[in-house]
Amino acid sequence: MLRVAIIGCGKIADSHASQIGRINGCEIVGVYDREPLMAQQLAKRFPVKGTFNSLTQLFDEARPEVLHITTPPQGHFDLAKTCLERGCHVYVEKPFTVWTDEAEKLIAMAKEKQLKITVGHDDQFSHVSRRMRSMVRSGFLGGAPVHMESYYCYEIAKTGYSGALLGDKQHWVRRLPGKLLQNIISHGIARIAEFLVGDSPEVITYGFTSPLLRSLGETEIIDELRVIIHDINGTTAYFTFSSQMRPGLHGFRMYGSKNGLVLDQDQETLIKLRGARYKSYAEKFVPPISLAGQHLRNASANLRTFLRNDFHMKAGMKFLIESFYRSIVEGAPEPIPYREILLTTKIMEAIFKSLSESVAEPTKLCAREQAATVV
Amino acid sequence: MHQQVGSQKCPVRNESHFITALKHWSVSVAVVRSGASMKDEHMIDKNDLVLVTGANGFIGSRVVEGLLERGFQHVRCFVRSSRGGSRLETLAKLDGIGSRMEIISGNLLSPQDCVSAAKNAKVIFHLAAGRGEKSFPDAFMNSVVTTRNLLEAAASNGCLKRFVNVSSFSVYSNQHKNHGKLLDESCPVEQSPALRGEAYCFAKVEQEQIVIEYATKRGIAYAIVRPGQVYGPGNEGITGRVGIGTFGIFLHFGGSNTIPLTYVDNCADAIILAGLKQGADNQIFNVVDDDLPTSRKFLRLYKRNVRSFPSLYVPHAMSYLFCHLWEKYSAWSHEQLPPVFNRRRWYSYWKSTRYSNEKLKKYLGWKPRVRTEDGLKLFFESCRAGRTSA
Repeated sequence: MLRVAIIGCGKIADSHASQIGRINGCEIVGVYDREPLMAQQLAKRFPVKGTFNSLTQLFDEARPEVLHITTPPQGHFDLAKTCLERGCHVYVEKPFTVWTDEAEKLIAMAKEKQLKITVGHDDQFSHVSRRMRSMVRSGFLGGAPVHMESYYCYEIAKTGYSGALLGDKQHWVRRLPGKLLQNIISHGIARIAEFLVGDSPEVITYGFTSPLLRSLGETEIIDELRVIIHDINGTTAYFTFSSQMRPGLHGFRMYGSKNGLVLDQDQETLIKLRGARYKSYAEKFVPPISLAGQHLRNASANLRTFLRNDFHMKAGMKFLIESFYRSIVEGAPEPIPYREILLTTKIMEAIFKSLSESVAEPTKLCAREQAATVV
Repeated sequence: MHQQVGSQKCPVRNESHFITALKHWSVSVAVVRSGASMKDEHMIDKNDLVLVTGANGFIGSRVVEGLLERGFQHVRCFVRSSRGGSRLETLAKLDGIGSRMEIISGNLLSPQDCVSAAKNAKVIFHLAAGRGEKSFPDAFMNSVVTTRNLLEAAASNGCLKRFVNVSSFSVYSNQHKNHGKLLDESCPVEQSPALRGEAYCFAKVEQEQIVIEYATKRGIAYAIVRPGQVYGPGNEGITGRVGIGTFGIFLHFGGSNTIPLTYVDNCADAIILAGLKQGADNQIFNVVDDDLPTSRKFLRLYKRNVRSFPSLYVPHAMSYLFCHLWEKYSAWSHEQLPPVFNRRRWYSYWKSTRYSNEKLKKYLGWKPRVRTEDGLKLFFESCRAGRTSA
């Protein structure tokens, strides 16, 4: 039985506790939060063996083998480092770390100590994402992607998390270098990073505060972001984060030299785009009918997955955790390659660096050039 | 600028008349109102400092108004963020009113902010709470951790006479009573609130427990106020006790049930009295108005006065079965469908129940200043205005 513990008992810890509970061969032996009441509330709602008032007590008494770190990102590096030093495998919620050098140190440390570490990019392991990965590996695109488009939107409301963020100038999200973006965009950037081959893509960034937020008196938070990424092999990608566009997409598009793929995370659909064209008027009729058929098959696949009782909202997280545990127990490869974790962190750091520079020196006409960075 | 509402004069709650009405108050504070008539029985002086948390909220802003109206000279309003144009800021700009208000913004998750807020407060009206939407940790953190911080600050301060905790009807279990039996303050609260599948209920039950714990361990006197469904301009939704619109068509679950409504001004009065009246220490008060409508009547009036929409009545036996089956499936499937419908929720929201405000009237001398009939008119008017402006 794999002994698991959770550090940080906020909102996302609920998802971890819930998905760990669905996995055979593991148990939550302890939870810890700097605020003891938060640890207690988690333990009241999930099968948890104990709550602890200090990290030392958690390590000494619960003796976990795997730690899930679900605290705000500022604490990820120090906590993960401590866990590795104590000989534990670590699952870190996204974003992996605040800075790239921290990510490098953690991965080096994990390798040195022959421990496993991963990051909570669970969207990449949803049913539909796995279908897409399988299609790409089968060569459907016709080689490396020519272009990718990743959308990760977030609806800002006056209530809930974003309401708290907007109303509180001391909110922990504001203290992140990339503020709101840093806490959210990992999923969308990681999707692109997975298919890049180089380690230093060029990143061109443009970001601004939406008129809506400005009307609410907000000037610090950037909630509209457009990024262009250019890889060494010529692959390009657009990343879009928006709080204003509707529908608020969570999707990914890939175009190869032969065909394309369109993934919609919200609807869990994957559409194949045929590269070749039909002759004459056939192009006007055959593809729409084919697309209708594909949507129907997606609906059917989703229904079958639901009936198999494997269509939970956090099914991707369960798959990722399960794969991570398997990599620990069976020595299988890590579910997310370390290179990909590092590349995601590097791209994000480049984005935030560009944004901070363009905020410091606003120049409308050449904003793009100023924001271009090679990571 | 008063509008005749019920048997007493009441300032118009419509925003367009808000400022005029408040100006009138500032020059005629001596108007005797239901609460003001109880001044001799107040346990604190009108020069004493009172703190209202969540002062910018739907009920909190009315509590502030009510305290000012009763002549309190130092009302400290704690708000999460201070944004221009809020009801509270409009109030603070009025002659003779602003000098009696102190608006401080902060975060109750910060112990330091709590110390600043609670300093020298004789009565704390604690209305700030996290609804958490679907997140248990969010609701818990913003209701329980914040309350603990505030109680800790108050305990250190040492001059607090009463801590008024605004809770909710949602804490009641309502499980082991026969249909139609009375729900009053003696009824048991939910013993396993996590199983209700409702973050708000979980947080409120835990919040009450921590208030009682501080009374026992640190001697902080409390009054717990449990309002039913608070309605009025500013809160335009249809309560889930009537039904739900989750599945595309409005499912009317309430049927002949009485809906435990309390108009926002009546509720604010009850909260104020719970903080000020002598002899209310360590008591719990339910807040519901008189002459409550049935769910069916409420829905009919809403459709007639606000908008028409299709609805489907679901008999109680059917809604119970639906909740039971959903609960079972949710457990079996490891929450592939989250347990948002379950029997505990059915008992709390849709079981036929009668409600009492006798204790409120007897202990605190509370009377609803706005009759239900008039309250509903104002509510529907506000709903219509909201729809038009949207």
